[in-house]
Amino acid sequence: MNTAIWLVRREFWENRAIWMIPAVLGGLLVLASLFGGYRVLGAVDLATVRTVVQAGALDGMIFIVVTFFVVMSIYSTWYLLDCLYADRKDRSILFWKSMPISDTATVACKLGTALIVIPLLYFALADLTTLIMAFIISVRANSYVDSSLWRGGLWLQIQALWLYLIVTAAIWYLPVAAWLLVVSAWARRAVMLWSILPPLALVIAERVFLGSHVIAGQLAARLGGYFSHALQYDPGAANWITTEIGHDTINTPVSVLRFLNAGGFFSSSDTWIGAAVGAALIAGAIQLRMRRTEI
Amino acid sequence: MPALIEARDLTKKYGAHVALDRANFTVEAGRIVGLIGPNGAGKTTALRAILGLTAYEGRLRVLDREPFRGRAELMRDACFIADVAVLPAWLRVDQAIDFVAGVHPRFRRDRAVGLLAKTGITGGRRMRELSKGMKTQVHLALTMAIDAKLLVLDEPTLGLDILARRAFYDALVNDYMDDTRTILITTHQVEEVENLLTDVLFIDKGRIVLDSSLDDIATRYAAVAVAADNLDAARAGKPFHERRMLGKVVLYYEQPNLEQLATLGEVHALSIADLFVAKLSGEAE
Repeated sequence: MNTAIWLVRREFWENRAIWMIPAVLGGLLVLASLFGGYRVLGAVDLATVRTVVQAGALDGMIFIVVTFFVVMSIYSTWYLLDCLYADRKDRSILFWKSMPISDTATVACKLGTALIVIPLLYFALADLTTLIMAFIISVRANSYVDSSLWRGGLWLQIQALWLYLIVTAAIWYLPVAAWLLVVSAWARRAVMLWSILPPLALVIAERVFLGSHVIAGQLAARLGGYFSHALQYDPGAANWITTEIGHDTINTPVSVLRFLNAGGFFSSSDTWIGAAVGAALIAGAIQLRMRRTEI
Repeated sequence: MPALIEARDLTKKYGAHVALDRANFTVEAGRIVGLIGPNGAGKTTALRAILGLTAYEGRLRVLDREPFRGRAELMRDACFIADVAVLPAWLRVDQAIDFVAGVHPRFRRDRAVGLLAKTGITGGRRMRELSKGMKTQVHLALTMAIDAKLLVLDEPTLGLDILARRAFYDALVNDYMDDTRTILITTHQVEEVENLLTDVLFIDKGRIVLDSSLDDIATRYAAVAVAADNLDAARAGKPFHERRMLGKVVLYYEQPNLEQLATLGEVHALSIADLFVAKLSGEAE
């Protein structure tokens, strides 16, 4: 356990972008909330204004979650591709391997950093950003609206949403992350290219020789199917509060949590087949890490 | 007590290329062993196998462990410097100390700090800011602060100037070596380690061609420098190598009759470099 903490700390030393990117992202969003303009609705009653603003608060919080999540996905992909390659490239692997740390522990800690530690950090910084932004906007808006716009219940729902996304994304993307680790442990150069080329070659070979596109379908379902598996967009009337303002209709969900599809996600065979493929690929990455010491 | 390192028919192939070809050797505890061979002889491959960095065929036991499967456990009792310049550029000196102190049960932090204090390298420096010599000193300080039974060094002074090389070996002998430790070292600079070693292993084309202590070498081999008119008589003694030098011929003998040789010319002992050149060029003929 102690070793694991040191291994993760080492990742933070090497990859300062782990915390710098979300910190800068949060900073930019805070700046936007400080100086950004917003439109105040004209002569409508306070209750309507409140409804509009509250719908806006939800959109804002969801926007922050999505922004951090997308940036994190891009960074984590790069991190996974680099993490078992960089130390082979600069030969520092010879130093790390002189320590009493198994290759299994090394690979596991890098995977854990990508799928759990980095998401938790983004979660924390997204939360901090949300709180600061909410405070700033509340103060700025207070001259127009009589009381604070802060919605504690919604904020708690967002916490649950984050944790749910972290757990389900880690499981869903396990085979993708493990594949990136295999490439990172194996490739002598051009990790990015090697991460794409073999799957692409399989897709093309299948198309040419068999005329089918099962692999392409599987890959697309894995890469693009996360949200449709983990979330459910249910427009059923019971889940929405609808407010009419002039010609506009504003729909506010009763609860963010109604969009989580935990039952469907954890009972889907796609989820667990993917996890099993991921486990096999991780075992492969560990074997490669044991054997490939240098470029 | 079993040997510290025991290799039987140790073989490693890279495709068609055989880097180690049924090599047999043992290293006993408390020795300083030089693994010496020309480029591509299999030195580094042998060390990589011993350190668990590569899979192999044959039988290999290091500190009574199978190194490839048990590398993590082995590294509690063995440490290595495989090339000096491998500390990553982004690592700070104090981070390096913290990390090793955190993960290595036999690391003595005070000792590493003490060794580094002597060099004047401060903890806040990153490896990318240090010269190769300074990086070596950091790596050496880290390694020498580990209470290991076996230290393996692969070309430890490659790329260092003579001052840094001398400092490296002085520190090794004076600050590190004692009878609880064993050192296995490879180097091109045979002359530099000659006074250090207790044993040598000559390796050529993946095979061990000589496994001997330096004491044995001193009694087992001799050379004699003879003038041209004594050459035929000297050749009758079956030398295994000849070398022309300044008008004389130097002949190298195994198990020599020293009294007889003394009548032919000036007898002297073989240096490791002499023996190495003789053994390997002899093999080639």
